[in-house]
Amino acid sequence: MTPSVPSVLSELANLLMRNAMPGVPDAERASALGLSAMLLNISAEVWDGAAHNLVEENRALRSLLGVGGPDENLRLSALRAENDRLRAQLIGAQIAAETSGDTARQDAIWAELRASTERRKLSISLV
Amino acid sequence: MPHATDIAVDRLERISGGASRETYRFRLGWREGGEARERQLILRRDPPASLIDTERRVEFEAYRAFAGSAVPVPAMLWLEEASETLDHPFFIAEELAGYQAAPQMLFSGAYDAILPKVAERKWTILGGIARADPIALGLDKWMPAPPLDDCWRRELAHWEAILDKDEAEPLPIARAAIRWLKANPPPPAQKLAVVHGDYRTGNFLYDAAGEIHGVLDWEMAHLGDPLEDLGWGFNPVWQFGRPGLEGGLVAKADAVAIWERASGLQADPAALHWWTLFNCVKGQAIWVGSARAFIDGGNKEPIMVYPAWWLLNAQDRAILKVMDKL
Repeated sequence: MTPSVPSVLSELANLLMRNAMPGVPDAERASALGLSAMLLNISAEVWDGAAHNLVEENRALRSLLGVGGPDENLRLSALRAENDRLRAQLIGAQIAAETSGDTARQDAIWAELRASTERRKLSISLV
Repeated sequence: MPHATDIAVDRLERISGGASRETYRFRLGWREGGEARERQLILRRDPPASLIDTERRVEFEAYRAFAGSAVPVPAMLWLEEASETLDHPFFIAEELAGYQAAPQMLFSGAYDAILPKVAERKWTILGGIARADPIALGLDKWMPAPPLDDCWRRELAHWEAILDKDEAEPLPIARAAIRWLKANPPPPAQKLAVVHGDYRTGNFLYDAAGEIHGVLDWEMAHLGDPLEDLGWGFNPVWQFGRPGLEGGLVAKADAVAIWERASGLQADPAALHWWTLFNCVKGQAIWVGSARAFIDGGNKEPIMVYPAWWLLNAQDRAILKVMDKL
């Protein structure tokens, strides 16, 4: 998730503190709390599967890119950084496959990209 | 208001939503010619950081260009481009009160009977925008007028640059789409048109009879290919979870037929496909910009997070769908 869940939760905590004070106009408080509730709901939805999805995706990307090594640091921030590194490599791999006309390789990359959107799909997804 | 006295502002309240501008409604009271008067107005002010950065003058003049035409818009009253008065530039417009804008309300079930009417009005009005002559409207004074064969290149370069600047993570799907767009450019625009830039369900005011009373959110208005606006509305995220219904309203063929009839233009399917995919990339750049504004601390409001969390992956899936990969 971008921005990261911890950074958003921290900001929501500040926002809730401000809205707990008297004097906040009703419309502003309602808007702030309503949006906060929706973001908290999304956080709750992604929490349990976040590490699993990143490990699974990093494994799939390494397989596709032909590079080795498991995820040793299981902090979400570390898994995410590794995921970013691998997805950047995937862009290069896809360009190479397009340039060489390797359609089987292109299909495999598209399949992984499709799978990546399934891993990230929210219950409220519009598509 | 040179003859006004006892000017007073009250009932000021912020309207929720609006990630690109802060929007407030208020009542303006004054005395003129010995009489007390009042008017309900809207204040749109730049936030500290926005998911899109555009010129207030451009938005203001786009609204003004269509005042009194078949394209319904609220009347623009005053523009302040300096920051001394309210810390940021702002403009003031009349409030069109008593109508709805929210897609959630439109698709709640209560409005099902009038959805075809809304669709007819929505794409008829967009056809009117496409039909308009931007030079006759004087908009070339405020907006660059690109050559017809350069409209696509200019827009794609603009939004790709925003992705380059704002992305916080690699975006392989959007990057693949950009490569495809560059390799398969559309034909030159049929004409130079006013492009609203954000013409979608949610950015117009409707009533219970299906009439549209105001087209809002012109902050991305520019001159370009008239198919661009049609393609933005066909971005699958704007189906609001109602597959097969463009804008959540009607099938694509019906929307295109309404637009062609109203605009007098043709929507070549291949060119429209290009502009639809382009608009998926543009959408992704906007959601990425929203995340960037939060990450950099320019705007820590939750409204900056929600588009990114809600739409980044959905937009990727929309790109896959338009590229026939989903």
